[in-house]
Amino acid sequence: MTEAMVVWRRTVLAGGVLGALLLAALVAAGPADARRQLPTTSVGVGAREYRLAAYRTSVPRGTVRFNLANYGEDGHDLVVRTLGGHELARTGEVRAGRRVTLQLPLAPGTYRLICDLADHEARGMRTTLKVTR
Amino acid sequence: MSAVGVAEAAQAVVADEPVAEAARRRRRARRAARRRHGRRQAHRRARQPSAGSAGWTEAHVRRLFWRAGFGATPVEARRWAKRGKTATLDFVVNGPPGGAQLRGLEPRVDGRTLDPLNEWGDNVLWWLDRMVRTTYPLQEKMTLFWHDHFATSDQDTPMMLAQNRMLRRRALGSFRDLLGDVTRDPAMQLFLSLAGSTKDAPNENFARELMELFTLGTGYSERDVREAARALTGFIADWHDNGTVTIQYEADEHDDGVKTLLGRRGPFGVDDVLDLVVAHPKHAPFLVEKLWSFFVATPPSRETVRALVATYRANDLRIKPLVRAILEHPQLYRKLDAPDLVKCPVVYVAGALRTTGSHIVQGYPTWLLETMGQYPFYPPSVAGWDWGPAWMSSNSMRQRFTLGNYVVNYGRPRVRRGSAPATLTAQEAYELAWRAVAEPQVSPATRAALVHLAAHFFDDLDPDWRDKADWRGEALQATLRHLLLVCPDSQLH
Repeated sequence: MTEAMVVWRRTVLAGGVLGALLLAALVAAGPADARRQLPTTSVGVGAREYRLAAYRTSVPRGTVRFNLANYGEDGHDLVVRTLGGHELARTGEVRAGRRVTLQLPLAPGTYRLICDLADHEARGMRTTLKVTR
Repeated sequence: MSAVGVAEAAQAVVADEPVAEAARRRRRARRAARRRHGRRQAHRRARQPSAGSAGWTEAHVRRLFWRAGFGATPVEARRWAKRGKTATLDFVVNGPPGGAQLRGLEPRVDGRTLDPLNEWGDNVLWWLDRMVRTTYPLQEKMTLFWHDHFATSDQDTPMMLAQNRMLRRRALGSFRDLLGDVTRDPAMQLFLSLAGSTKDAPNENFARELMELFTLGTGYSERDVREAARALTGFIADWHDNGTVTIQYEADEHDDGVKTLLGRRGPFGVDDVLDLVVAHPKHAPFLVEKLWSFFVATPPSRETVRALVATYRANDLRIKPLVRAILEHPQLYRKLDAPDLVKCPVVYVAGALRTTGSHIVQGYPTWLLETMGQYPFYPPSVAGWDWGPAWMSSNSMRQRFTLGNYVVNYGRPRVRRGSAPATLTAQEAYELAWRAVAEPQVSPATRAALVHLAAHFFDDLDPDWRDKADWRGEALQATLRHLLLVCPDSQLH
């Protein structure tokens, strides 16, 4: 299985749970709301030793597509967590010079983006993303 | 301030406003009139027949437009052949009056507009689109030259885009100013470890490339590199909480001791190093020869180098006069019927789209450029790309064939139903295809092979069926157009 497939499968698994919750919320809100299309926003993310830079600091609620590029020399990953520490989605390990996409729906709030390989987070590979209404 | 005071101040502003506004309007009108006059003069100059127009043909225009940009459309070739060499060079080198603009349809990928900062590959498409739609192609061509010359790679997208804008702004100005901006550019500073180079731990990376690749080539010693590295200390990277970085110069981290550099002695700082390297006798010939090889396949004679060096120095190291001198050199127009410079992938892709009037409607070009071996913003090393025949690998050629498919399927040369009846003669079918792909230069051998293909394309059909086989005529057109876009002649300019 290729790295991209692993990432895709994990994305689907992580996103699936959230997607189901979102879908349930939409159904509960009624058919008019369900028809309203939430936007997909791309966020470029650069990873290197030991920084994680998100090229947007805030995005509108809806689907967020993280485009992770590993500009460093070591492997890195991207984990999306709530401020309370609940993990929402993660990529697999991305080798130096490679790129992957991680896509998931995000409700308004603040989220923590980190690389959780070894001690990379403690060394500085962490940032936040605000999702607005 | 009391409430009364505030009210009085507000009234004073209101009373002054019409007077100030009228003055502003007059100033704006005067500026607009001056701009209109300048544009009229430039248009008049461009329309005047050139004294040196004798012997200036469409083939000359095509050669110039390919070398200085991304090819000429048939209309451009005819128009500028009539106006003569001087007027054409004025237009190509100076750009249109009023500066560069993007003309035509804005690029869309799968129905959405580009997001060069955040979407994969959109940065590449964004620059490619500029090459395809700009009214000042030399500016983009020189931006490409500097991107290779000051090669920077693997840096965060926002920084690379900022560097790209800086290279475009400085593309045809003073080399010294460009070098100053490159030295302070965050992407370059991080790529070559100039950021973080302090008096206690000077890093020689940037100083070495400054002399070896950016300005001199030869004529310096290891000691010069070490001393320049000391003089360039003091830039500190400041990483912010959101992961972005800014770079500052901190005098405390700069080595302000005396250095001996390129035969001079003093407490040199950053700008002193840059002044010394561009004043070095090796600099002008080094840059002249590199720039020449970007535009002309055959090496320059010693006399040519001497003359170009004199032009460069006489113009205070400004790039535009030097580029103009190269673009008007007779050597550039040698063998107009047998081009000898290999199109690099970026020029090949941008040229195929631009000359055929096609636009970016898919993300394919970005993937194709990667597999062709020239992925903008990711040169393989600080030495840039290997140019020339190195572009003609078997895999790269395969991808150039794929680009032909893209243009024939999604570009303006796509074959419309009913536009190419199977009853056309072989010659007519060839000419229809040739016109559809912007009348490219084709050798007699290639033309003969394509006409031969057209003549035998329907051999398997019963002659009585031919007038009902328009779909085969359209397939022939697609084939001919594709082959014209990818044939050996199209790989050179």
